[in-house]
Amino acid sequence: MSYVAIKGGGRAIAGAAAVTEYLRTAEGLDNDRAEPLEIDAILHQLRHLVDRVVSEGGVYHPKFAALAIKQSLGDTLEAAFALRAWRSTRPRLSATPPLDTTRMRLIRRISSAFKEIPGGQMLGPTPDYALRLLRLELMDESPDAFRAVARAWLDNCPDARLPDSFPKVLDALRAEGLLPPVTAARHQTAFDITREPLVFPLPRSAALATMARAETGSLLAIAYSNMRGYGDVHPTVAELRVGYLPVLLPHPVTGELTEAGEVLITECEVVAMYEAEENGGKPMFTIGYGACFGHNEVKAISMAILDRALQKGMQDGAANPSEDPEFVLLHVDGVDSMGFASHYKMPHYVTFQSDLDRLRTTQQKSGEPA
Amino acid sequence: MNLERKDWIRALTAHPATVLNALAAELTAGCDVKVKSLPQAGLGLLTLADGAFHEPYYLGEFPLSSCSVELSLADGRRAAGGAQVIADDAELARALAILDAIFAARFPGWDRVEMLIESGVLRCAGEDRRRRMILAATRVDFAMLNNTENDDDES
Repeated sequence: MSYVAIKGGGRAIAGAAAVTEYLRTAEGLDNDRAEPLEIDAILHQLRHLVDRVVSEGGVYHPKFAALAIKQSLGDTLEAAFALRAWRSTRPRLSATPPLDTTRMRLIRRISSAFKEIPGGQMLGPTPDYALRLLRLELMDESPDAFRAVARAWLDNCPDARLPDSFPKVLDALRAEGLLPPVTAARHQTAFDITREPLVFPLPRSAALATMARAETGSLLAIAYSNMRGYGDVHPTVAELRVGYLPVLLPHPVTGELTEAGEVLITECEVVAMYEAEENGGKPMFTIGYGACFGHNEVKAISMAILDRALQKGMQDGAANPSEDPEFVLLHVDGVDSMGFASHYKMPHYVTFQSDLDRLRTTQQKSGEPA
Repeated sequence: MNLERKDWIRALTAHPATVLNALAAELTAGCDVKVKSLPQAGLGLLTLADGAFHEPYYLGEFPLSSCSVELSLADGRRAAGGAQVIADDAELARALAILDAIFAARFPGWDRVEMLIESGVLRCAGEDRRRRMILAATRVDFAMLNNTENDDDES
C-alpha cells in the first residue's frame, strides 16, 4: 500500500465543507422559525449520544462532545475524532489516585444474579422493560408540554431516604470465598494507552483502558461472538451501576484529597463459569469487569465479557477471536478503524495503476499459447 | 458552617463561573495576589480501581484547571489557597484558589465566600435529592413467578 502526492482540489475541498454546512442549515431555507441546535438541547435530549462520544473520545467533556455532535451532523465516529483532536492539544496536568467506585452517586443499580441485594435494586432511567413502540405524540410536542413533564415528575415524587453509597455485590461474594481474593501483586502501575504503544503481551490495565474508549459497536460485536458460541464466558451480571463518581485530587495547599468535580460512568461486574485455582485450591467463580464514561450499558457489559474472555485467553491461550488480546484490542478503537476505512477514499492512483498494469499483463500472458 | 475544606470546591462550583470570578476580583481589590502555580487549563487522567480485582487502570481523561495563590494584606497577613477543578477554564481555577485562601484564612470578605459555599451546598443537596428520587421511584422487588404476592400492588 502506498499513497500518492497530489496537488489541486483546494477549491473543491473548501466547497465540500461549505456544502456540508449548507445541508446543516438548509432547514432555514423554507422555515423562518428554524433554529440551530442548542448545545444544551443536545446535552439533555440526546444524552446517550453525548455519552457515547465522551466515552469513545476518551475525554469526559460533555459540552465539547455535544459541540462535536453538532458539527459532525450526528456522526459519532467523526465527533469522537474531533474530541480526541482537541485533547491532543491540551497538556496533561495531573492524574487522580485510583478511585473507588463504591463512592458513586447512583441513579441506577441492578443485579441479575440475585432477586435481592444489600441496599436494593433500582431500575433508574432505562428502556429495559419498555415496549419498543414509536411514541407518535412526540412528533408534534409543544414546548409548554415539554417543559411541564420534568416539573410534574419532581412534584409528584416523594422524598427518598436512601444512603449516599451502596455496597458491591462482588464484595459479598468475595467475603463468602466464592471469588478469587484480591492480591497485592495485582496493584501495579496502570498502563497509559495515550502515551505508550500497544506491544503484546500487555497488562490487563492496558486492555481495560483500550476497551473503555473503544467504539461501542465494535466491542459489542466481538463480545456477541463470544456470547453466541465462539467462546464460553456465560456471564451473569452481578451488578450494573450508573452514577456520578466524585473525582478526587490532592488539594494544592493541604494535600488532602478534594472533590474537583464528578463524572457520569457506567460500571458492570460479571460473574462467569467457575474454575479451580491454579495451585489446586478450591474452585471459584471467574469475574469480568467493564466501565466507561457516560451511561452506556451495552458497552460496559460487552467490556466485562471481553475482560473475562481476555483473562482466559492470556491464561490458557486464545481458543477463539474474543480471547485473543491482539485481535480484540487492535480492532475496537473507533477512530483507528474509521480512519483506516476512510483512507481508502483518498487518491490511490499509482497503486491502482500498478494493479491495472499487472492484471493486463497477466491477462495477456494467459491468453498467449503455452 | 462545618464543611471541610475538601468539599468547598464542589459547593462553590454549584454557582456559575461568572459569579465566582466576580467575587474573587472584588475581594482581592485590596490585597496582593501572588501566583504560586500559574493558572492553567489542561487534562486530568482518571484512575479507577477496577471492581473485580481492584487493579488500577485509566478510564480516560477529563478537562482540568488548576492554580495556587498566596494572598497578602497590608498588615502583613498571608494566606495560601489552591484549586483543581474539572473545567477547561484557567480563570475559574484562579478565582477558586483565591476564594479558598480567603475563606481558609478568614480574610476580609470571608463571610461572602461562606454564603456562596452554603448556598452551593444547598444546590448540591438538591441535585443529590433528585438522584435519590430517581432511585426511590424505580426501586424494584422482582418476585418469582411461583410467588403469589404481586409487587405491583399499590400498598
